Amino acid sequence: MADTVESSSGATYGESPERQNRLQRYRDLRFTEEELAVILLTPVVSFLLAVSFYPIFDTVVGSLHTGYVLEINPQEFVGLENYRELYGSGPLLDQFLNGDGFWNALRVSLIYTFVSVPIELVLGLGLALLLNREFKGKYFAQAAILFPWAIPTVINARIWAWMFNGQYGVINDLLIRVGILQQPFPFLAKPDSALYAMLFITIWKTSSFMALILLAGLQSIPDHLYEAARMDGASRIRQFWDITLPLLKPTLLVALIFRTLPAFQAFGLPFGLTGGGPASATTTLVLFDHQLTFNRLNFGEGAATATIITLIALAIAMVYVGTLYEPEVR
Amino acid sequence: MSYDSNTLEIERFQWVGKKVGFYGSIFIIALVSVFPILWMFITSLKQPGNVVTFPVEYIPRNPTLANYRAAIEGAPFFRYLLNSAIVATGTAVLDVLLGSLAGYALSRLRFRFKLPVLLLILGTAMLPFIARLIPLFSLARSWGLLNNYLGLIIPYAAFQLPFAVWIFQAYFKELPDSLEEAGLMDGLSRIGVLFRIILPVSAPAMATAAIIVFIYAWNEFLFALTFMTEDSMRTITVGIALYQGEFQYPWGTISAAVFMSVIPLILFMLFFQRKVVEGLTATGKA
Repeated sequence: MADTVESSSGATYGESPERQNRLQRYRDLRFTEEELAVILLTPVVSFLLAVSFYPIFDTVVGSLHTGYVLEINPQEFVGLENYRELYGSGPLLDQFLNGDGFWNALRVSLIYTFVSVPIELVLGLGLALLLNREFKGKYFAQAAILFPWAIPTVINARIWAWMFNGQYGVINDLLIRVGILQQPFPFLAKPDSALYAMLFITIWKTSSFMALILLAGLQSIPDHLYEAARMDGASRIRQFWDITLPLLKPTLLVALIFRTLPAFQAFGLPFGLTGGGPASATTTLVLFDHQLTFNRLNFGEGAATATIITLIALAIAMVYVGTLYEPEVR
Repeated sequence: MSYDSNTLEIERFQWVGKKVGFYGSIFIIALVSVFPILWMFITSLKQPGNVVTFPVEYIPRNPTLANYRAAIEGAPFFRYLLNSAIVATGTAVLDVLLGSLAGYALSRLRFRFKLPVLLLILGTAMLPFIARLIPLFSLARSWGLLNNYLGLIIPYAAFQLPFAVWIFQAYFKELPDSLEEAGLMDGLSRIGVLFRIILPVSAPAMATAAIIVFIYAWNEFLFALTFMTEDSMRTITVGIALYQGEFQYPWGTISAAVFMSVIPLILFMLFFQRKVVEGLTATGKA
């Protein structure tokens, strides 16, 4: 840019000194690295502060009030009353194991997250090991495997709701054909099987995503390590445990965080598959919060639930980083 | 050599077995991955009366496009698609712009507080969406951004910005220092170097970031459901999710609608598969 100004100013004889002066200043628009960094980062940081941090702060404040945000009631400071309402009454352990409402949603979300993510990780690793070599048709295989990830979660939920249909679903038909079932089973109408179906669908959808992230990690492991191990007579399994897994650790960390946090915030899948039912057996925390806020217009408790979700999400992220992060040795 | 032929035979047999096992498992995995979409397609071609039969029909008898006609007449799907395209494109443009500038600063410039700034930006990716929903909804309402494309573009761009920044800074880090030095020697200012040298060679990173952000914005549901209350402003994802049809659950029509809505995604994936993989793996490389 600077030289455009230079060349154009070079051709302007007889300009007023004032204008010359201005052009000169323009030409001196040479920031130090730090000034430039401030200029480039200010829009991004202020954008994120406004759209990501401020709302969190607002939600925390709102969780201490009634009639928060939409002015349906006058806002009133109530301290921790919203949290107390969510808690209900009874000993903590008892509520955690048997409570309904918030506690039920918390259990569903914890089960959903901590059952699906480890299975996805193992399946994804298997897929990644399978894809980590050259073969004919790899392009098409990869495209096919990426399909589930590309389909919007809520549309995917509608698709599977049809396939799991208790009367006409193709899954019932297939299971009867191979002799596992005698007659159609209403998967989505029973609490246990609805939760299992939801787990199955999310595992189906996300293992491929895991595989791709892990594949990148596998490809960054230098071949000579394996060659050296082969020279020393290490078996394939030994190579996997001693080379692949330790070197894959950073990638595993990223994959875990990338999956655990979205899984903990599952919304579209239960919304489209079961609407949270039957009898709130598939109501995840975010779906619970959404219903609380938009169906029951209980904004205070909605904000309290959102605050708790935030705290748990940050705790999960910190636990992962703490256990898996190793400072790079240079 | 006769004593060798036996072992050779066995080896060849094992080789063939391995190949069959390998391609067989790849085939099964691929089939399981595409089956739901395939099933939607099959359902959508059935005669309305044959959709709800048991045992189910695997190959539609007398295939028909009636379900597609019903779907198109039942809801403004092309309008939904247009809405999604505008929102997703706007989000991608905004994130490429902001992400490339921030990514450049974070990867190629020396300044104080670099690590805290990087952590601040990446940290926002950890914040739950639901905790941002109501405050942003109330802001959007007071600024008249409900049922407005910007009302979705702005939050989406903020949510995906950490990933865009990450993709760009990873890409810029790999560029040789000599690139900038040559520009500075030639008398370019630092801004000149950024706009004339660095950004022009960063097309691959731009494509990767744009595609990842685009797919996110296309697929997002929670905010799209909440911020677009008018039917004509709904995105395709919400439009399909809320599509009921006039009568009780017309699965044939829904299948046709779903299949139409994923055609753009299927084409997108086939065209940009490599870019998508690059994008995912770039975010995966810590």
